[in-house]
Amino acid sequence: MGTTVTRGVLLLAGLAAGVYGAVLLLQLDFSRLLSTVVWLAGGVVLHDFVLAPVVVVLGVLLVRVVPDAARRPATVAAVVWGTVTVAALPVLSGQGGKPDNATLLDRPYWTAWLVLTALVLLATVGASLLAARRDHRP
Amino acid sequence: MRLPRVEDFEDRLRVPEVTSRVGSVLGIAFTVCFLTGLWSHWQYGPPGWLTIPTSPAWLYRVTQGTHVLSGTVAIPLLLVKLWSVFPRLFARPVLKPAVPALLHVLERASILVLVASGIFQLVVGLLNTVQWYPWSFSFRSTHYAVAWVMIGALAVHVAVKLPVIRRSFSHRVDADEPAAGSRLSRRGLLRATWVAAGLTFVLSAGQTVPLLRRVSVFGVRSGDGPLGIPINRTAAAAGVPDGSTGDAWQLELSYAGRTVTMDRAALESMPQRTYALPIACVEGWSASGDWTGVPLRDLVESMGAPARSRVFVTSLQTRGAFATSELPEQFVEDERTLLALRLSGEPLTLDHGFPARIIAPNRPGVLQTKWVTRLEVAG
Repeated sequence: MGTTVTRGVLLLAGLAAGVYGAVLLLQLDFSRLLSTVVWLAGGVVLHDFVLAPVVVVLGVLLVRVVPDAARRPATVAAVVWGTVTVAALPVLSGQGGKPDNATLLDRPYWTAWLVLTALVLLATVGASLLAARRDHRP
Repeated sequence: MRLPRVEDFEDRLRVPEVTSRVGSVLGIAFTVCFLTGLWSHWQYGPPGWLTIPTSPAWLYRVTQGTHVLSGTVAIPLLLVKLWSVFPRLFARPVLKPAVPALLHVLERASILVLVASGIFQLVVGLLNTVQWYPWSFSFRSTHYAVAWVMIGALAVHVAVKLPVIRRSFSHRVDADEPAAGSRLSRRGLLRATWVAAGLTFVLSAGQTVPLLRRVSVFGVRSGDGPLGIPINRTAAAAGVPDGSTGDAWQLELSYAGRTVTMDRAALESMPQRTYALPIACVEGWSASGDWTGVPLRDLVESMGAPARSRVFVTSLQTRGAFATSELPEQFVEDERTLLALRLSGEPLTLDHGFPARIIAPNRPGVLQTKWVTRLEVAG
């Protein structure tokens, strides 16, 4: 009973909020609305038909290529490194900022990313070697 | 070649137990992001029932820092969440009977809306933090409208999935999990996800959390700048006319049809106050500075107006949407609201708003008008 009420309230509130947002969107002029729709669709296409399939393929490769002892560390590394990298793409892109404003995007982002990548690699190799030693112990 | 089917994917880790746990944390992040975003939106034109308080001075700094960081941290969570349900994309549609078929279509549509709006909000929001606008819609109105679509679709999704979520949380994540062997376990995947989210937080939070400045190598700002404070928009970018800020600069002060002009020396001869107040940008970075200047209420009272008056502020800037701002009564009355002349004991730099700028407690950075030329007290 409680669950049914909760679901009903969430459903109605969700529909109301969604309709309100749609009404706000429809108040934009046509070219802005078009640009919004392109970006809304673009994100889904980029994820569902580019990023996700690439990750699936990499997952298959990981199973086939990576030795058994390295499998778990490599998977953890891929999850952490991959998602952190995606989150850092805006600052790594080299886009944005203003030429006359030295206080925006004022860190060595690529150096930082290379250091992060090297640390993740080191940790993965280290954990894999430990796992291999443990596996070979009688 | 054929389209993949749901059964083609390994389902050891892609289980509701994992999806529900990552999804719940993601749902919380999205909700926090929505609420803090709504709060930020209201700063520009509060609804009638809301009076934005002037205290605590750091409130907007915290809410907007939280807004941007919850969005940033949502990225690893969203990626893992979508990974865990990716096979469902290939679920074949239910064709009959009519009612389940219709419900199936509606649910898929709601998920499409949720995924599209969720990705959109994170991407567009993050690009805004680096001031990169490769689109032709206006950021604020679109980010606001899509936020309502996103939170609505999220509520519908939770309503639809609530039984699955409850069932998944009723037992441990690894209940009935086959032995993982050398592979990653469900628990391991969850831990990796939390680590990724935590790392994302630590690597960017320094743009607003001073303690993390040194480690936040992906922060959009190191927090450094002239006189110790970063700059959002330079005088050149804002189109402040050459020569308009020199010795000839005068402040116009008007109230009830009377206008008085003051130069910088006259302002400096008035009693000065110094307060530590944050500049908190809508883009999520913030920094606290020691600002010195004339309390706005002193200027207002010198015109014979009550301290509790609204003041319209006009800047010399000729570009950008924030050449004017309106200070509500409570901000004018608060003596910490300054027409600032100095920062860290030094005269303002041009890019910080020289000759004079507004600095008020608990206000978004874009409303802290720089290069002030005119203050108009509402009658």
